[in-house]
Amino acid sequence: MATTSFTAPKLSSPTFQTLCRNLPLSLPIPKTLSSFSFHLSPFLSRFHLHHHHPTPRFHPRRLFAVRAESENGAEPLRHYDFDLFTIGAGSGGVRASRFAANFGASVAVCELPFSTISSETTGGVGGTCVLRGCVPKKLMVYASKYSHEFDESNGFGWKYDTEPKHDWSTLMANKNAELQRLTGIYKNILNKAGVTLIEGRGKIVDPHTVDVDGKLYTARHILISVGGRPFIPDIPGSEYAIDSDAALDLPSKPEKVAIVGGGYIALEFAGIFNGLTSEVHVFIRQKKVLRGFDEEIRDFVGEQMALRGIQFHTEESPQAIVKSADGSLSLKTNKGTTEGFSHIMFATGRRPNTKNLGLESVGVKINKNGAIEVDEYSRTTVPSIWAVGDVTDRINLTPVALMEGAALAKTLFQNEPTKPDYRAVPSAVFSQPPIGQVGLTEEQAIKEYGDIDVYTANFRPLKATLSGLPDRIFMKLIVCAKTNKVIGLHMCGEDSAEIAQGFAVAVKAGLTKVDFDATVGIHPTSAEEFVTMRTPTRKIRQSSESQVYHSFSVLCIDTCSLICLIFSNLITENHWS
Amino acid sequence: MARKMLVDGDLNQTNNEGAEYDFDLFVIGAGSGGVRAARFSANYGAKVGICELPFHPISSEVIGGVGGTCVIRGCVPKKILVYGATFGGEIEDARNYGWEVNEKLDFNWKKLLQKKTDEINRLNGIYKRLLSNASVKLLEGEGKIVGPNKVEVTQPDGTKLSYSAKHILIATGSRAHRPPIPGQELAITSDEALSLDDLPKRAVVFGGGYIAVEFASIWRGLGATVDLFYRKELPLRGFDDEMRAVVARNLEGRGIKLHPQTNLMELVKTDNGIKVITDHGGELIADVVLFATGRLPNTKRLNLEAVGVEIDKTGAVKVDEYSRTNIPSIWAVGDVTNRMNLTPVALMEGTCFATTVFGGESSKPDYRNIPCAVFSIPPLSIVGLSEEEAIEQVNGDVLVFTSTFNPMKNTVSGRQEKTIMKLVVDAETDKVLGASMCGPDAPEIMQGIAVALKCGATKAQFDSTVGIHPSAAEEFVTMRSVSRRVTARGKAKTNL
Repeated sequence: MATTSFTAPKLSSPTFQTLCRNLPLSLPIPKTLSSFSFHLSPFLSRFHLHHHHPTPRFHPRRLFAVRAESENGAEPLRHYDFDLFTIGAGSGGVRASRFAANFGASVAVCELPFSTISSETTGGVGGTCVLRGCVPKKLMVYASKYSHEFDESNGFGWKYDTEPKHDWSTLMANKNAELQRLTGIYKNILNKAGVTLIEGRGKIVDPHTVDVDGKLYTARHILISVGGRPFIPDIPGSEYAIDSDAALDLPSKPEKVAIVGGGYIALEFAGIFNGLTSEVHVFIRQKKVLRGFDEEIRDFVGEQMALRGIQFHTEESPQAIVKSADGSLSLKTNKGTTEGFSHIMFATGRRPNTKNLGLESVGVKINKNGAIEVDEYSRTTVPSIWAVGDVTDRINLTPVALMEGAALAKTLFQNEPTKPDYRAVPSAVFSQPPIGQVGLTEEQAIKEYGDIDVYTANFRPLKATLSGLPDRIFMKLIVCAKTNKVIGLHMCGEDSAEIAQGFAVAVKAGLTKVDFDATVGIHPTSAEEFVTMRTPTRKIRQSSESQVYHSFSVLCIDTCSLICLIFSNLITENHWS
Repeated sequence: MARKMLVDGDLNQTNNEGAEYDFDLFVIGAGSGGVRAARFSANYGAKVGICELPFHPISSEVIGGVGGTCVIRGCVPKKILVYGATFGGEIEDARNYGWEVNEKLDFNWKKLLQKKTDEINRLNGIYKRLLSNASVKLLEGEGKIVGPNKVEVTQPDGTKLSYSAKHILIATGSRAHRPPIPGQELAITSDEALSLDDLPKRAVVFGGGYIAVEFASIWRGLGATVDLFYRKELPLRGFDDEMRAVVARNLEGRGIKLHPQTNLMELVKTDNGIKVITDHGGELIADVVLFATGRLPNTKRLNLEAVGVEIDKTGAVKVDEYSRTNIPSIWAVGDVTNRMNLTPVALMEGTCFATTVFGGESSKPDYRNIPCAVFSIPPLSIVGLSEEEAIEQVNGDVLVFTSTFNPMKNTVSGRQEKTIMKLVVDAETDKVLGASMCGPDAPEIMQGIAVALKCGATKAQFDSTVGIHPSAAEEFVTMRSVSRRVTARGKAKTNL
């Protein structure tokens, strides 16, 4: 704790920021001047690592350099407690901290005490993903899927003398034991990497100082990775509503639950509660669920979920929650009132945890949603302060936070400025049935590319033909007509999430429809449909004019695909004849 | 027929000479390869006839059925039984997730069998419709080749029909083979195993290939005691050794008794069941003994000698890269050629045949990076090279990335079964040469990986792909540290 001086006020001057931001990353640095230049660029902070064991020969010279730059308004050389101080030990924070430590940096991370419900004062190592998101959610999905599997198994000859019953408390106990194990594992991971873990609430005091419950720590770089929290709109009776944190840790099974929201969290919980035999009503403001997803996927998943017994109330906005004398809840919407709910869950979005972090005082800019504004390298408006994960509200997914955290560690401590790459990030919705997707939706593809070919398959999987259940699978490939590249892949049905991953590699690598077609199927699987889609369901062309142009360009660029086009047409014609 | 003129290549010019032949193409055998070739040829404008033996679940010299092995006696019914058997483990796993399920569960084999038969009948009908929709003439009966352009079909009532065809395609597939040991008639093959009247309580499976491990898994999952005998140290010869060891461990973990390096010597009928005697002197009693010791091509009754079509010593029809036999007008695709005996490969061969002969475009099947799956419980799936193959084939260093983990579902269910994944990478080019996985959903996961491998994706491209969380598949794109590096020099030593 040998913190001595405080930061020069000049540091936050716009000139300095511009200087840092505009510094060419690959600027060739003459060897003799390297010690001058290193700390000019915060990207090249290896210099600082030497600082822990300074050789006497270097020391005076560096001090001199620092003084010289100080006068120019640059950051003064000083001793910090840590090279990196991370606020928030969730997916992004732990990843950045570990990797930074592996690159030789001295790193501390602070995190709130563990609780399954997050608040201003509770969190836990592992963060949303491990404690209140992906992991407990997926465990609940596993648990809830069994009721469907029992139904399926009937069709395969299995019989249950008494209908299987679900014991809520067993699930909660086993789930929480697993979460405790995981939070322990995360602590271990940090410990093994040599990262100092501090329990408490971190608050930024100045560009290089963090206050954790009254104790001050200085750091060359500060990383904000405090994530987000569920948001419940302020309507009368909203105090009776639960959010996803609470929904993952209910003391007993909700008998009849209303879920407000049409996003992925709403759909996942609808599937969970439905599978665990609650009566489930979903209230959405729009006509369809999952805004932003491919339109056909939105229709398909809604239909499939309805077939499994979930009741959708479309174009209904919540206005009030009323608690009646018997303790049951009513939800009043613009269309009327639905009564008798044991629980009303709001899945109406999440907000970044940027309150009371001291951001305003140091000048870290946040946008109107409360998300921290960052550049492509995850740097905030204060050069020594960085942010990754949900708190920046870019793509709020664990693997993206991991990517951002890893990129940041490389940028700061491995001399390798690295931008996270947001192209073709795959994702899944663990609704029942689940969705897996990568790349563009059909609507986005038309907007971006104009001319596209769309291949779809909508079929009853082998399992469903035996089980007799109305389960279907929908698959879609979107191909750029000009380049033949697969620019979007969507699936809804069993195993979608697992299936999409491998295809995501192919889409990310920019592979073409011809490449897909050249791949032999794995039989019998659902996934093989993606490599056996021979005839486009529709070809979308911006205009007849561009279609002519398009055919011409194909002829010039790729005769092969034109031949394929003719053949597929022939096959189609013969199909119809 | 303007279109036909357009697409027919020079290979088919004599077609314009008119009614010289009854058919442009006559296909013997309406399985995966035959139906595909027939349909696609017809779509190119060819006049196509196809013959197939009468339908029955159990095949013989005179029994077959439209749809072939895959639909009637292979992939489809097998997968249905695997689904049925998987529920056994699923129900066990449900308990720790809070589900109260009776200790003793009722499983009705006859119901499953009936539903399986219904489904196969349905698919058999679909295949027939596919052919008629494509205007392919389907004849029921046994096909024989009587000349380079002549086929004879013996109908079930014994009447013989004779047709001439410009091209003949042999797509008669293969059948299970029994090793000639005393009492072999007491054993069954996979055909019967898919249609047993009763579920065996005690099953013996002989063989180490994928059919053997699949049936061992099916019966075990449905509650039977299963003993699996095979000659090698590990099952699944030809697959990646590490994966083979994992499959063996998983089979054991699920309660199958393994007998490696053990041969069956004799089967004896007793009042109590079939007595199985091994070359180690061991004996045990079983209700059912399954021989899954290989399959042989169906070439015996095709009269190939008469026209001089060459076959190899296993009885497989010899073909060139375009699936053409030594007789220019006679071709063969699928298992009867014993190249790579998989349905999608037969489909590929059938498609290439049609494109070559009637599409006016020479088209060779491409056997590189063909993915495949073993539907054991849990399943195994692979694409590209095994570690051993990569070490042998690559000149430089080989990097091996592996990940062994407890799948998330097991963290609560308590099932002790690890999932394992492997990527084999050429150190010099960074190309991913092989991928393999053993664990739930492996075949579904591998399909997309196969697209990437087929197009020469690099490890860097895998790494640059963001994971889907939480999934098992995301491990394939998050393998950061190399498990081992096999150096070129180290390999030379191994080769000595």
